[in-house]
Amino acid sequence: MLALRELQSRFVDALFAGADVSYVDIPDRVEIYRNNLREGFIKALAIGFPGIERLVGTEYFRRLALDFLAAYPSRAGNLDHIGESFAPFLAERFANSGYAYFADVAALEWAHQQALVAADARPITLDALRVVNPADYEHLRFDLHPASALVRSAFPIIRIWRANQPETAVDEQIDLSEGGDNVLVLRAADCIEFHRLPAGDFAALEALATGASLGAALESAQSVDATFDLGTALRRFLALGLFVQLHVPAAST
Amino acid sequence: MTFCIPLTPAAESVPVALASLSAGVGLRAVHHNEVLETRPRVGWFEAHSENYFARGGALPRILGRIREHYPLSLHGVGLSIGSTDPLSRTHLADVARLVRDFEPLLVSEHLSWSSVGGRFTNDLLPLPYTEEALRHMVDRVRQVQDFLGRQILIENVSSYLQFTCSTISEWEFLGALAHESGCGLLLDVNNVYVSAMNHGFDAHTYLTHIPRRAIQEMHLAGHSKRRIGDRDVLVDTHDGPVCDAVWELYVAAVNRFGPVPTLIEWDSNIPTLELLAAEAHKADRITEARHARAA
Repeated sequence: MLALRELQSRFVDALFAGADVSYVDIPDRVEIYRNNLREGFIKALAIGFPGIERLVGTEYFRRLALDFLAAYPSRAGNLDHIGESFAPFLAERFANSGYAYFADVAALEWAHQQALVAADARPITLDALRVVNPADYEHLRFDLHPASALVRSAFPIIRIWRANQPETAVDEQIDLSEGGDNVLVLRAADCIEFHRLPAGDFAALEALATGASLGAALESAQSVDATFDLGTALRRFLALGLFVQLHVPAAST
Repeated sequence: MTFCIPLTPAAESVPVALASLSAGVGLRAVHHNEVLETRPRVGWFEAHSENYFARGGALPRILGRIREHYPLSLHGVGLSIGSTDPLSRTHLADVARLVRDFEPLLVSEHLSWSSVGGRFTNDLLPLPYTEEALRHMVDRVRQVQDFLGRQILIENVSSYLQFTCSTISEWEFLGALAHESGCGLLLDVNNVYVSAMNHGFDAHTYLTHIPRRAIQEMHLAGHSKRRIGDRDVLVDTHDGPVCDAVWELYVAAVNRFGPVPTLIEWDSNIPTLELLAAEAHKADRITEARHARAA
């Protein structure tokens, strides 16, 4: 008699890869569970990546999803996580092809999904900065809102994404070389916003998001845009409600 | 440039007293706004716990508003309680947070497993009914109840095959599990019917052998038929109305177990709320008839 763990391991192998099932009464019916696994995964992935499904078509999306399932099976009892590696998977699959933008559109859709379910947090306002000693400004660090993400692409991904939503009726011609998008994805009170940011703003936020100081973020921003103005950018970020925590360095002696 | 994708329009919330517990329906996202706007006449709603794991944003807000107007139960589909992998502490913590935030009337999971070695099928897989599996389930249910600090209900699943090593019937397994772990049982009448047809046992025998006092909730749902090899198999698809044979079995279940909170589940080809409420009222008429006879 198979021990429970051995039985479970063999059964899951049978569902993923078609291993021996001589320990069940009607082996033909394993197909029902195999079908549930595949269809459930394809359906959940399609809900998270409607733009990719429309770009590649339903039939090809199914093939992509099954290959993705084989390489990156679900790791949790909650299907919200399954798309985490879909953008890197597409990047590898379509590297050096004319479809390199698929991965960036997938990254945007993943950021959208994450923003939908991320924690709530109260943004800080300009008042929080007013109490800081100006000498400390360059050492400030900010936590970005949990329901925010930065997606950089060499392609016009906002237009591509918009043109490929399920409710979009007509196909649109988009020139892939028209210029890339640096997108800030942010959950507002009742919607998810995609903000196309200037290069300097985006570089500054990328630096801040990794924990860099305001001084370092300013350097990053100015290296891509010599005219970058920190004060204007900061006011814009605060007005968006993008910062939820301010870290002031310990007072110097 | 800003592009805005609406989450959901805001709905007004008006407090009401808890309705008496006539039959409820499964809560599905497509009905969220309509539930809040029209306040359908159903006894309660059951939410799949995993659908509301979001830490913030619209989903917990909506569930909170619905909870202001209806009793709620939390029904887990992803804990993989029967797996031999360690229980996921993060999954349990998410369920515990929902229990704390939404104060559900009932919390349930399935007599099943869905993962091993960290690979999840996100399906409700049947267990072999052996002494070893029973000991394992008793231990796991205890762990979950200890973690949540409350009793949970365990639901029988539909199954399409049996493991040849099984030595105990499903009803004996469930009865022993309830007795030893202190959990309650959620009797899915459709699942009893589907498994009875698939495995050739008598559904009434099943009901007769389930301990009366363990049943705290019942589910009703639709199923479909598939041809595999040279035989038909019933599949638990939740994609249509409850069939006549399952209504008949429900009458027998109500006669045996008395009126317990009953839920209509319909998860695919989801109908209008109106049709769901009509199915729930049909269940109410059966419990009321039994009540009238008992009086």
